[in-house]
Amino acid sequence: MSKTLLELSGVSVSFDGFKAINNLSFQIGEPELRAIIGPNGAGKTTFMDIITGKTKPDDGHILWGDKGISLLGLSESAIAREGIGRKFQKPTVFEAQTVRENLAMALKNPRGPFDVLFYKKTSDGAARIEAIAEQTGLTDSLTRPAGELSHGQKQWLEIGMLLAQEPRLLLVDEPAAGMTPAEREKTTQMLVEAAKTRAVVVVEHDMEFVRRLNCKVTVLNEGSVLAEGSIDHVTSDPQVIEVYLGR
Amino acid sequence: MNRSFFAKNPSILWFIALLGLFTLGVTLLSEATGTGLISTSFVKTLGKTLCLCLVAIAMDVVWGYCGILSLGHFAFFGIGGYAIGMWLMYARTEVIVSASMANQVIPPSATEVSDAIASQIFGVVGASELPTIWSFAHSLPLQLLMVVLIPGLLALVFGWLAFRSRVTGVYLSILTQAMTLALSLYLFQNDSGLRGNNGLSGLQNIPGFESTPQSLVSMAFFWASALALAIGYILFAFVISGKMGSVIRAIRDNETRVRFLGYHVESYKLFVFTLTAIVAGIAGALYYPQAGIINPAEIAPIASIYLAVWVAIGGRGRLYGAVLGTVAVTLASSWFTGGGAPDINLGFYTIKWTDWWLVLLGLSFVAVTLFAPQGIGGLVDKLVRKKA
Ligand SMILES: Nc1ncnc2c1ncn2[C@@H]1O[C@H](COP(=O)(O)OP(=O)(O)OP(=O)(O)O)[C@@H](O)[C@H]1O
Ligand SMILES: [Mg+2]
Repeated sequence: MSKTLLELSGVSVSFDGFKAINNLSFQIGEPELRAIIGPNGAGKTTFMDIITGKTKPDDGHILWGDKGISLLGLSESAIAREGIGRKFQKPTVFEAQTVRENLAMALKNPRGPFDVLFYKKTSDGAARIEAIAEQTGLTDSLTRPAGELSHGQKQWLEIGMLLAQEPRLLLVDEPAAGMTPAEREKTTQMLVEAAKTRAVVVVEHDMEFVRRLNCKVTVLNEGSVLAEGSIDHVTSDPQVIEVYLGR
Repeated sequence: MNRSFFAKNPSILWFIALLGLFTLGVTLLSEATGTGLISTSFVKTLGKTLCLCLVAIAMDVVWGYCGILSLGHFAFFGIGGYAIGMWLMYARTEVIVSASMANQVIPPSATEVSDAIASQIFGVVGASELPTIWSFAHSLPLQLLMVVLIPGLLALVFGWLAFRSRVTGVYLSILTQAMTLALSLYLFQNDSGLRGNNGLSGLQNIPGFESTPQSLVSMAFFWASALALAIGYILFAFVISGKMGSVIRAIRDNETRVRFLGYHVESYKLFVFTLTAIVAGIAGALYYPQAGIINPAEIAPIASIYLAVWVAIGGRGRLYGAVLGTVAVTLASSWFTGGGAPDINLGFYTIKWTDWWLVLLGLSFVAVTLFAPQGIGGLVDKLVRKKA
């Protein structure tokens, strides 16, 4: 088993008294591919919000990296710089800017205003962008505004931006939503490929998609872990069938 | 900045070339250095317009590019004006006071001179002592430093507090407007140390150049304004190009997403807000010696709203758009309110443009918002694209 990269223990958060995440514990190693499934409102997106610093938990610990530092005191941008990248449920790319500009912004480089102001394009960076465009099938679209891309391409661009950040942990929220079967297939490949060198957490509703990821699955329900294991293991769990599959 | 920067942004060279031609043209037609076709007062109007263009491109960067609708940038402009005005007034009063005291039998002491200057400047508000904020007024270099330092520091502190608490959108606009209003109300007070509603006057007289005719002084300020606009334009074009521009526009469109890319959004906003405030201060410092007078009414919130109107009419998110909007609206304004436009007699009612200009401006603003959201600049862009 790979060594632990991220560890949540006893994390809880409530919104106006409603416990969206309830005493949740979770671990992921590096490298590892992990799928998270669960019914609507199970707390999957909130789980990502907590890791990325968008939502502060009421309780619990989040430890990160080799030194086991706490992520709780860090801002969203600092957490991102620590090496956690996130893809949102709704594709969010910068539509007014070209695909290349989107990727260039995400590229791993110093993030301070003055570093950016005096940033000089390097052939290294250009090559990185080309390589990512190749990986995500966007080579022919590099000069197009991201707003012109199809829904599936926007999802890929966002995955590409994640890759450009070179994160150690990648959080991907419903990447296959609204995709054609062929696009799903391609997305699966990208994620499996990415998980060879880093930790990747994929939230997905679609069982077929999860099956093809061929990885350990965590089932969330009402803000805590209901079951964990191989896809066959969790899908045969009576509790899981009850809350999720048996609907 | 290198050659490839200009090569990639040919519109900058176009702008500089046009500005250069315009400056040359005005020079050749002015009273001081040319045929005299353009009056000295009109040279001043043009010079002032260039300063307004400079603050407008600053506004475009902060609002059009970074998405911060600041209703405070005209306050920074005014502060720049006050800062230079303090030196202009002090130094000129010093010349006058020294001259009148020169015939005294006993030569006046330094304190006597300074007291005389103080009562000369502050007599109107019933004070005779130099307020502490005038401590540097005797020194041009120090006051010039204030021109950039005060707007810069104010913007830095205000922006730090506001951005850190993640105040955005209309709430931020209201906050900047409140700052502007507070500043202007403070300045209206007689004991503000800046002569209350009298403001600072006689700023067109430049100490040390008493015998230089105004026609020449106005030319010098006109050139300085053109130069400042050119430098400001290149500076902002540099900021909004390349990766910095990319990040700034991304913050405008979705700042949450930018945070998750690892950028500390607040630092970027603070950088843009402060830099543009400093440029606004410099623009004001060049404007008010041409206007001759500055008073708190200039800083009133409405001025900052006008600034937003110019940029909106000119077309947000393109620097030359801000210039076009400013030139179009200010020249139209002085034509309509200066009696240039003939009144329209409807028989039962006469439309006097001095009264109706603001209505017209308001209607144009609404029309632009509804029918040409990209402003005049957007129309120009369309024409250029059609030809190409
Ligand atoms: N900011 C918030 N304020 C109040 N309630 C919230 C907030 N964010 C999430 N919730 C609630 O917390 C619960 C978990 O939401 P979450 O978005 O994490 O679910 P999810 O598992 O991602 O669901 P889906 O599959 O629909 O995306 C939901 O009931 C939701 O209404
Ligand atoms: Mg969700």
